[in-house]
Amino acid sequence: MGAVGARVARQLLYLGPLDDLVVVDADPARAEAVAESIGEPARVAVAAAGEAEDGDVVVLAVPGSHVESASAALARGAHVVSVSDDLVAVQQLLGLDAAAQERGRHMVVGAGFSPGLSCVLAALAARSFERVEEVHVAKVGTGGPSCEHQQLQAATEDGMDWRDGAWESRRGGTGRELCWFPDPLRGVDCYSAALAEPALLLGAFPDATRITARAAGGRKAVLLSRLPKVRRDNPEGTLGALRVEVRGSQGPSHDDRVLGAVDRPAVAAGAVAAMAARWALDGRLTRTGASGLAGLVEPGPFLAALAERGVKVAVFEGGQHGPEVATAGRRS
Amino acid sequence: MIVKVRRGLLAVGIATLVAGVLRLRGATVEEPKGGGWRELTGPELR
Repeated sequence: MGAVGARVARQLLYLGPLDDLVVVDADPARAEAVAESIGEPARVAVAAAGEAEDGDVVVLAVPGSHVESASAALARGAHVVSVSDDLVAVQQLLGLDAAAQERGRHMVVGAGFSPGLSCVLAALAARSFERVEEVHVAKVGTGGPSCEHQQLQAATEDGMDWRDGAWESRRGGTGRELCWFPDPLRGVDCYSAALAEPALLLGAFPDATRITARAAGGRKAVLLSRLPKVRRDNPEGTLGALRVEVRGSQGPSHDDRVLGAVDRPAVAAGAVAAMAARWALDGRLTRTGASGLAGLVEPGPFLAALAERGVKVAVFEGGQHGPEVATAGRRS
Repeated sequence: MIVKVRRGLLAVGIATLVAGVLRLRGATVEEPKGGGWRELTGPELR
C-alpha cells in the first residue's frame, strides 16, 4: 500500500458510514500504521479478497497485477475497484466484464488520477456533443515511487492509439506534443507511452475514430532515471495535471472541448477510488460489469462530489472557435 | 595519424554532447494564442 492506498482508506471514512474497513499490505507494519492512523473501524487483515463478502467492495491500490485479487473478490460476491494504470493489467481486468456481469457486480477499472479522473473528464466533455469523434488525453506527474516506476516503464513500451477502427502501435517516447495544462504546470512536452486510457475510453466511446494518450517525460525521463539520484524520491509524488480534449459534432457543427485538472496525483487518485467504491456500495454506478469510470458514472455529480473533497477541474476556453481551437496548447 | 583520429573522436564527442543537451532541453514553450483555464463550478457539474 503506497501513497494512494492509505488515502483511499482515509477518504472512505469521510464518504459515508462503514461497518468495517480492512487494511491489507504485504508489509504488516505498514498496514498496522495506516489502520492505527485512521482509527475505528479500520483493522488489519492478511488478504482483502479472502475476507470479502457478498456486497462488500475491495479496493486494489497496490503495485502489480490486480487480476488474481479481483477475480477472487468477484468470486466472493464483492464489487472491485482497481487503481491500476498498467495497460496489460487494465486489459485483463476489462476481460472480467462477463464474469462481473454474471454476478451482478461492479468492476471499476482504472479508478485513479490517470486513468480515472481523466476518464470522468472525457465523459463530462462528451456531454457537449451528439457524437464523439476524438478523445485525446495527456498527463504529467506521478503519485509516488511505485507510480513513477510504472510511468517510466510505460514510457519505454509501445503506446496503443485507437485510429479509424483499429489499434495502432506507437513507439514509446515518440510523437512529442506540447500540451498546455492548467497553471502552474502550463506547457509540457508529452509523448506516446503504454497508457491505459485508450483501452478504457473505447468502451465508453465506441464510435470515436481517434483515442490517444500521452504522458510527460518520455525518453528524457527514462534516461535521467538511470543516473545517480541527487535527491531521494518523494513518497508523495509530484504535482500532476491532466488535459483531456474531446472533439465531436452537434448537428452539422464540429467543435471541441478541453478540460483539465491540477492536483497531487496520489491525493486525487485516493479521492477518485474512494468515491468509486462508495458509489459501488450505494448502487450509484450506471451498470454492472468491468469498465472504466467514463462508462460507469454520471460525470457531473461525480465531479461535484469530488470537488467537495478538494479535487477541482477546469475548462480551457476563450480561444478561437473552429479547427484552430483543436491546436490551442498542442503542438503536433 | 593517431592525432587525427583523436581529434576526430574529440569532435564527435563534443558534437554528441551538445546535441544531447539541446535534445534534452527541448524547444521553447509558446503560450496558446488566446484563451485560458477557468475552474468548473457547481451548476456546470450537474
